[in-house]
Amino acid sequence: MTRERGSPYAPHAEGETAAMLDAVGVDDEEALFDIPEGVRFDGEFGIEPRSEQALRRELTALLGRNDDLTEFMGRGHYDHYVPSIVDNLSQRAEFLTSYTQYQPEITQGFLQALFEYQSMLVELTGLPVANCSMYDSATALAEAARLADRVRQASGTRVFVPEFLRSGKRGVLDNYLAGTEMTVETYPMDDGNVDVEALAELVDDETAMVYAENPTVRGSIEERLAEIGELASENDALFCLGTDLVALALLEEPASVGADVVVGEAGVLGLPNAYGMGLGLFATREEYLRQVPGRLVGVSEDAADRRAYTLTLQTREQHIRRERATSNICTNQAWVALRAAIHLAWLGPSELVDLAEDCVRDAAALAERLDALVGLKAPVHDRHHFREFVVRCDQPAAAIAGDLETEGYAVHVVGEHLLQVCITDANAHKADELVAAFEGVL
Amino acid sequence: MFEVPDDLRYMESHEWTSTDDVARIGITDFAQDELGDVVFVELPDEGSELTKGDEFGVVESIKAVSDLYAPISGTVVGVNEALFDQPELVNDDPYAEGWMLEVEPADDGEFDELLTAEEYREQTE
Repeated sequence: MTRERGSPYAPHAEGETAAMLDAVGVDDEEALFDIPEGVRFDGEFGIEPRSEQALRRELTALLGRNDDLTEFMGRGHYDHYVPSIVDNLSQRAEFLTSYTQYQPEITQGFLQALFEYQSMLVELTGLPVANCSMYDSATALAEAARLADRVRQASGTRVFVPEFLRSGKRGVLDNYLAGTEMTVETYPMDDGNVDVEALAELVDDETAMVYAENPTVRGSIEERLAEIGELASENDALFCLGTDLVALALLEEPASVGADVVVGEAGVLGLPNAYGMGLGLFATREEYLRQVPGRLVGVSEDAADRRAYTLTLQTREQHIRRERATSNICTNQAWVALRAAIHLAWLGPSELVDLAEDCVRDAAALAERLDALVGLKAPVHDRHHFREFVVRCDQPAAAIAGDLETEGYAVHVVGEHLLQVCITDANAHKADELVAAFEGVL
Repeated sequence: MFEVPDDLRYMESHEWTSTDDVARIGITDFAQDELGDVVFVELPDEGSELTKGDEFGVVESIKAVSDLYAPISGTVVGVNEALFDQPELVNDDPYAEGWMLEVEPADDGEFDELLTAEEYREQTE
C-alpha cells in the first residue's frame, strides 16, 4: 500500500495532494497551518501505511500481550454483569450517533430515554431534580462544589472531603476549584468511616460544602449520615453525598439523611468495567434547579397536545450563556446514560435490591474466608461492607499482590500491609479460586 | 408597533423607569417581544444598592439569557415577587403587572440622562 494509490481511510494520493497545494499556491501542507513553535511536534510519527488486514493482525498480536487477570478490584470502578439487552438496544442505529440530542423534533426516543434515566435517579435518591448525566463521578463532585459556591446564602469557601478519597477524585476537585476562592480540606476517618466528632470540630460557618461517601472508598457503610447532614445544615453548608446506583437500592435514601446533592458513579450499571469510562450522576433539591450543571430533559406537550420531550434550562449552558453558564463542561454522557437506564429498567426494583444484597452478602462471606487464613485479617474495619473491604496482611501487601498476579488475580494495594478486595456478581464465581490463591501465596 | 408610554424614561438596553419618588423599573414591550416567552427572572433583594448602568439581574427566555441594567442609581425598596411564580407577566404586561423593581433614586438628575419615549421609539423602529 502506498500513498501513490491512496486508501479508503487516507484517500489522497501524493499526486492529488500536490495538485491541491499547487492550486492554492503553497509549497507544502505545513504552510496551511499556523502552529506556534512551542507546541509543535517536531518529528516523524513513524506510522507506516498498511492494509486493514495487516493492521488487524498486528493489533490482535499486541492485545494478546495483555495479562488475562481476574480482577477483584473496585475503588470506584465496579464490574457488574451487563445483560445483552443493553448492547442490543443501545446499539440500535437510532441511538448510535455522535451528535448531542438537542433537536426535540428528531430525537424524541432518545430524549424520553434520558428522561427515564433522570426519573430513576429521582426515585433512587429521593431528590427531585437529576440531570441527564455528567462525565464521571469526579466531575460530578467538583460541579457540586461549584454549585455550593453559587447557592450558599452565607459566605464560606471551605470544602471538606474525607481523608480516604480516591486521588483521581481529589485531583479533579482541586483542578475545578483552582482559581476560585474555594479551598479543599480533609477531615479524619475513624475505622473507615467519618469521624463525626472530629468533623464537627472542623466545620464552621466558613464551610461551603461537606462531602461524604456511602459506601466509603474502603467499602464500609456509613452509619451516621443524618448527623453529618445536620452538621452541614447547622453551619449553612451544603451536604454532598457520593454513592452509586446499586448501593442506592439498599442504603438509606439520600434525601432522608439531609443530602443536598447526590453525586457518584451511575456507570456501575450498563457499562463494562474497562477503559476508565464513567457516568456521573448528579441529583439535587428543586431550589437549586437553576444552578444545576449540565443538561436536563423535561416533558411537556407539543402543539397537538401530545407528550413531548425537550432539553430544558438550556439557557444555563455555555453555548447560550458563555461566562455566566453554570458549568463549562461540554461532555454529556447521553449514550452511556441510556445504557444505564436500560440496565436499571431491565433489573427492575426487586432485582436491583437482590443485586445490592448480594454485594453485602458476598463481601461479608469472602472477608470471613480470608480472615480464616493465617496471616490475614479481614475486614480491617469492623463495619458492614458493600462490595469491597480492606484486608490486613502480615507480609508486605505489594509482595502478596504481586504473587496473586502471577496466579492470575488482581487486587488493590492500599497500604504497606493493606490490600483491598472487591467482589460482585461478575467475579463471585471465582471466589473459591481467589481464596485458594491467597492460601498459596501466604 | 410596540407600546412605549410617554411618561416613562428608557435605556438603550431596553429597560424602562418611571420618574416617581419611588421609581418603578422593568423591561419594555419591545424587549419582551424580542426575548420570547420569559421563563425566569432573577432580581436583587430589597435593600440592595443599584448603580446606574450596572447589571442588577437576569431575565431568561426559552432560548436566551439577558442581563438587566439599572437605568438609575438608588436603593431597592420593592421587588415584584409575583414574577418568581409567574415570569410570563413580563410578556403579558411589561409596564404594569410585569414591573421588576421599585427604587428610591439616589440622584433625580439621572432621569434626564435617559431616553425619552420619543427617542426610544426612534431607536426601536
